Amino acid sequence: MNKEGMNSYSDTVNELLARYGVRFGIYKNGTFKEQLFPLDIIPRKIGQKEVEYLEKGLKQRVMALNEFIKDIYGEKKIIRNNVIPEEFVYMGSGYLAQCEGVCPAKEIYTHISGIDLVQAKDGQWFVLEDNLRIPSGASYPMIARDICRKSSPAIFEKNAIYENRNYAKMLRKAMDHVNVGGHTVILTPGRYNAAYFEHSYLAEHTGAHLVTGNELVVENDHLYFVDYSGRKEKVGAVYRRISDEYLDPMNFNSESVIGIPHIYDIYRKGNVSLMNAPGNGVADDKGIYYFVPEMISYYLDEEPILHNAPTYLPFYEKDMKYVIENFDDLVLKDVAEAGGYGVVFGQGMTKDEKERFISMLKKEPRRFIAQEVIDFRDIDIFEDGEKVPRKADLRAFVLMAEEPMVWKSGLTRFSRNPDSFIVNSSQGGGFKDTWVLENDLSPTIL
Amino acid sequence: MAILSVEHSDQLYWLGRYSERVYTTIKEFAKRFDSMIELREHDYDEYCKAQDIPNIYSSKDDFIKRYCFDESDPNSIHANLIRAYDNAVVLREEIGSETLAYIQLAIYAMNKAKSSDAPLIQLQRVVDNIVAFWGMADDSIDSESVRSLIKLGKRVERIDLYARMNMGHSELKRELKRLNTRIGRTGLRYSSVKLAHLNYLAEMENTPKDMIIEEIESLFDEDINTLDGK
Repeated sequence: MNKEGMNSYSDTVNELLARYGVRFGIYKNGTFKEQLFPLDIIPRKIGQKEVEYLEKGLKQRVMALNEFIKDIYGEKKIIRNNVIPEEFVYMGSGYLAQCEGVCPAKEIYTHISGIDLVQAKDGQWFVLEDNLRIPSGASYPMIARDICRKSSPAIFEKNAIYENRNYAKMLRKAMDHVNVGGHTVILTPGRYNAAYFEHSYLAEHTGAHLVTGNELVVENDHLYFVDYSGRKEKVGAVYRRISDEYLDPMNFNSESVIGIPHIYDIYRKGNVSLMNAPGNGVADDKGIYYFVPEMISYYLDEEPILHNAPTYLPFYEKDMKYVIENFDDLVLKDVAEAGGYGVVFGQGMTKDEKERFISMLKKEPRRFIAQEVIDFRDIDIFEDGEKVPRKADLRAFVLMAEEPMVWKSGLTRFSRNPDSFIVNSSQGGGFKDTWVLENDLSPTIL
Repeated sequence: MAILSVEHSDQLYWLGRYSERVYTTIKEFAKRFDSMIELREHDYDEYCKAQDIPNIYSSKDDFIKRYCFDESDPNSIHANLIRAYDNAVVLREEIGSETLAYIQLAIYAMNKAKSSDAPLIQLQRVVDNIVAFWGMADDSIDSESVRSLIKLGKRVERIDLYARMNMGHSELKRELKRLNTRIGRTGLRYSSVKLAHLNYLAEMENTPKDMIIEEIESLFDEDINTLDGK
């Protein structure tokens, strides 16, 4: 496609994005604002062989993580066998004592996992983060594909690309698999949540009802949706987009006004499924990430297929020494933060800042992890009529039903700033459609 | 019948009301605008009176600017369109992305009209999108109760506005007839006594405006004892 064609394609795509209100919410200075999530028209392309490798690795990783959560809230063999130090489990903010001894329907905890990956310049993929609580982002590539196909059908005619609009069907399958009888609902905190577009879009496409906490009620040990005529309809599965602490004021944060009193009690009794399971945060803590390769070997007796970015835990004396000696070459992440916040690069700090940071690190070694800075492979974006390289990651989605299912697409996020590695939408980044090619031939257009 | 919460049924009803309010007030504004161009600069005084909104405007230009486009003026057309959007955006699952898109497009048209020297052209696009929204809702929403709740809101708002603006007797009768047909399909409880009274009032040659407004606005009175229709 020539420059003129790309300009016109880009305009059409953006016009349609605006038409369908493809947005995400952001709080700036205490005020909620919705902004369009910019889509770059140049897709990320992943070949068949590469996707087969990723698929195997992702399934393996998610299965091990699911086993880990089951073990931690159950027998705790991995701690007893000294594979993971207990302080990393119990001191993490994601561990919830209320989940001890609770086993969800079909022993599935990680119904929807978002695994963040980056590809280094040599082509090797690294996992940067596991998101097992309420990972978001799948709706954007779904609607982007719809819009791109409308805007330039010729591109899709000439390239063999896996369909990605089947995500809703996969999600519905995952919901139905654990539904214990009754309706399926998507529980949203409401209109002013950053991911509200996604909640409503997924409800529309899965056929689940989008509800807020005050539309559900627990009575006689079951969950009901109360309709406008006062009729009560039983609910069997809740895809909740509310974090654990706000889910149930009687069991978690008592000040929550968006949760449903006693929902956790009936979940514990097996009378409703919650997706994802409460307490999953114990496995996607940035500190626990370090131990995922060990988990894979321990639970599955397999070699890890996907690699972690080289990571150091200042908690260990040896690692602390390495981090201090190689501070300038590392990126440091606060384990309690997310969304690109709490990430600092050693190289960008002044002498004073470094000293202050190291002293904080020594005081709170459990609070941070350090990673080698991976030189991501740049991906072209189309900006001001030119192709320019930018850093990008990939959030891959794995859904669990009878078997884990890897979505043949994903959310590719890129940084708008040429010097930045931070790709989060909350930090001004955009996204791309992610093409998984049905063969390894180079695409003919774009 | 669709499974709808109280909150969503309320939002559907108000989506109908606000979309109608935008539609009818733009049409009325357009009539006044024409005469205000060079003939009757102060026609907006009468307009405010008829609409029962405070005349806070200092001049014709101020009226055009603020009444149409000032989001912070609760009586402005723009503020009402935003209210329609606020209700629509939480109903994607019931009304569908394609239907919702027309409210979104109306917002864009309104923003364009704001900076235009000939606002009526862009305001006409707002009206076009509202009409397309109603058409798409009618065509694509399967659930009769969802469609009916939007239409009910639209009818109630139209009767209220027509009464305020002293529209003709036949227009008011026509809208009441439509309301009578629609109201039973919504599943909402309403006061059949008030509805009967409205029908009686509409038969009168000099329709008592204030009584019509009072009855239509209390048709779904919260006092459950006064509600008997279903």
